[in-house]
Amino acid sequence: MTVGSEVRTCYATIKSIEAELSTLAVETTDNKAKQSLEKSIQIMEEIKADLDKQLIMLINEEPQYK
Amino acid sequence: MPNWGIVILKTFTLITLLFLMTKLLGKRQLAQFTIFEYISGIVLGGIVAIHTSTMKYTFTYGIISMFIWFIITFAVEQFSLKNKSFRDLFQGKSAVLIQNGKIMEDNLKKEGFSSDDLLEHLRYKDIFNVADVEFAVLEPSGMVNVLPKKESLPPTAKDLELKLAPAKEPQTVVMDGEVMLEGLANLSLNPTWLEIELEKMNVSIENVFLGQVDHHGQLTVDLYDDNIAVPSPTQKPLLKAQMKKCQADLELFALATENDQSKKMYDKNSEKLQQAIDLVKPYLK
Repeated sequence: MTVGSEVRTCYATIKSIEAELSTLAVETTDNKAKQSLEKSIQIMEEIKADLDKQLIMLINEEPQYK
Repeated sequence: MPNWGIVILKTFTLITLLFLMTKLLGKRQLAQFTIFEYISGIVLGGIVAIHTSTMKYTFTYGIISMFIWFIITFAVEQFSLKNKSFRDLFQGKSAVLIQNGKIMEDNLKKEGFSSDDLLEHLRYKDIFNVADVEFAVLEPSGMVNVLPKKESLPPTAKDLELKLAPAKEPQTVVMDGEVMLEGLANLSLNPTWLEIELEKMNVSIENVFLGQVDHHGQLTVDLYDDNIAVPSPTQKPLLKAQMKKCQADLELFALATENDQSKKMYDKNSEKLQQAIDLVKPYLK
């Protein structure tokens, strides 16, 4: 696997984690849990944005594996 | 009327009367905290037993004495609720047997407790060494309650400074194969949600003996047919594992890359992810 595809896998996993966390945040009736989950969703979004940028950079570096 | 007819009639009346009286006396009577409550319970039962089975005694006398026993017990109960010194008199006070780890010999003597009795009661509480006891009290009901020394108590989450998710009572949503709407409503869920969850588990509601939902919305069921394996909830452990894996991946990327900027970015994000894991860890159990 190239670095690009590895990072892409990681990006996809982060995305799925975010989705799962949002489901849990919706389902829970506990306010504290909800807050923690929402905060972690926010963190996931930040990581996602960073990885997205990195992915674009990697594609430019390894155009042959696009 | 033949004798047996009278017995039937008397029995029915007395059973109803006894039922009403015990209902009025409430659950305190059942718990029998004091010797007085214990005795009055027995006497009421005894009067009923005598008058239902024998013809010798006058029925009205029985009813009168039952009423008196009932009224006094009831009055004592009601007064005790209002007045502390009255309560102390009728229900007794608790006596401190061990304080600050020292046995109060005077109190032991006053309550007629020998050292053997004390040791026996401590053993009921799984304490074999008096040195482990900080405080012990003899309740009016005759029970000894013990506060062990802090160092001989199992550590709590508070002692270990662990952060735990608050536990709330689960709601029972399926009983004997039938949907309990009240439990669902308490969690603001609806029967459709339940249907979908059961479908996910691949079981039909008729086969569910008991189903409960915790406050995170996790459904667990017990089936009539114990041969069918119910999938245990995997969503949360899986999510936690995924988060950990991602975090490890990011660390790996940081080590592998030669670009300084990328390295920093990976490091920062792996730290962030670790934060997120710490944040939600208590809820992913």
